[in-house]
Amino acid sequence: MSSMHERFAAILVEKFGLGADEISPTSTLEDLEMDSLALVELVVSVQKEFGVVIDDSELPGDATVADVIALIGARQQEAA
Amino acid sequence: MTITARRTQRFDVAVTGLGLVTPAGTGVEANWDLVTSGRSTATRDPNLEGLTVDFSCRVPDFDPAALLGARRAWRMDRVNQLAVAAARQAVADAGLDTSTWDGARVGVVMGNSLGGAASYEREHDTFRDEGEDFVSPFLMVKSPVNMIAGYVAIDLKAGGPNMVVSTACASGPTAIGTARHLLESGMCDIVLAGGSEASLTRTTIAAMQRMGALSTRTDAPEAASRPFDADRDGFVAAEGAAVLVLERADDARARRARVRANISGYGASADGYHPSAPDPSGAGVERAIRAAYADALVEPRDIVHINAHGTSTPLNDVTESRVIRRVVGDHPAVTSTKGAVGHLLGAAGAVEAAYTVLAVQHQTVPPTANLDAQDPEIEVDVVTKEARPMRIEAAATHSFGFGGQNGVLVVTAP
Repeated sequence: MSSMHERFAAILVEKFGLGADEISPTSTLEDLEMDSLALVELVVSVQKEFGVVIDDSELPGDATVADVIALIGARQQEAA
Repeated sequence: MTITARRTQRFDVAVTGLGLVTPAGTGVEANWDLVTSGRSTATRDPNLEGLTVDFSCRVPDFDPAALLGARRAWRMDRVNQLAVAAARQAVADAGLDTSTWDGARVGVVMGNSLGGAASYEREHDTFRDEGEDFVSPFLMVKSPVNMIAGYVAIDLKAGGPNMVVSTACASGPTAIGTARHLLESGMCDIVLAGGSEASLTRTTIAAMQRMGALSTRTDAPEAASRPFDADRDGFVAAEGAAVLVLERADDARARRARVRANISGYGASADGYHPSAPDPSGAGVERAIRAAYADALVEPRDIVHINAHGTSTPLNDVTESRVIRRVVGDHPAVTSTKGAVGHLLGAAGAVEAAYTVLAVQHQTVPPTANLDAQDPEIEVDVVTKEARPMRIEAAATHSFGFGGQNGVLVVTAP
């Protein structure tokens, strides 16, 4: 099974048009040009891929890819 | 009917740049080569498979991610992508530099009919199948018609008046005519004017087929768009965009810009008659023609070439030809470039204005594709088979929309 990072990065590549080499755990959402509308879209993609609900208000611009993945992991734990 | 000319001196708007992204291809050369060849671009459309009408005229080889960057391309409907592509091309063709121009003096007026129809249909399906929480918020920046001009302004840093006009198939002349007013009033120094349309969705095609507007020549799509031909049976729907860079002729001269042709007159009217059928009397069309000629200070005898609305529908072509004969005469060399590229709806008038500019620039009338046997009821001189070189000082282009909205432009040699 691919890692959480790979699965999350795949969303950013396929749905949001980012280059795979642009995405590292320390990239912030701002670095990736994920504006407020894109974050609403990202929440839907995360729900479909990981089966957890997060709110776009939990995704500040300075949150990193690692932060978002940690948040998804925590939600999965809560649900388990 | 009397139209009193308000002008005593002609106001010429110079066309200093053209951008074309149409079924004929991308760029001025690809477009002029195709429309003067007499070939048609209509072909089977995989997206329309299984429908009664399963062909269209699509823009070939358009790669929005390569052009705009993948990060940006997905946020825009195709109608916006096509508009930005054409606008960039037009500005480059005009020799202008967006990093140094005074963007506050640059206006954008685009014509469109159906907005981001494909995005709207996709999100409707999502809403129906998955529910409210899965609908994309981007729908509201993809689908509304105003976004077409908005995205052009964002891309090119054009901070002047910015709008989309919608008069169905007459949107091109409406946009270019509005641009004339913005330049004449001094509100802008440069206006990017044109049209974009990307509404070849299954629902749109089904509706146009149901209203009887489309050709159903499914066994030979390449022969389906045949304006003024005795065997015509409807139009072929198309997509694409065209943008003209417009400047006051004096300004263009001062900066030593290459002027392809001038937009010297604009006339508009409404039939006030029927939602989709043209007024058989042609009175509304006649008003638009006379108003454009009055604006350009030309007489009917001066107009030697007309790029007709010429949709290839039984009703339009015969009605339009009668108006031309009655109001203008039997002398103009008439063509319909819809034979080549189909009917781009809200972008059609802009594309045809660009082709009329090129006809004046090259002193050549492109032929009407697929015109094999002219309808005997159509008693005007329609150019067919081969492009016709001729002296063109003044030409006109006609666009008539559903709802009875009419627009006519006069194009003159600089």
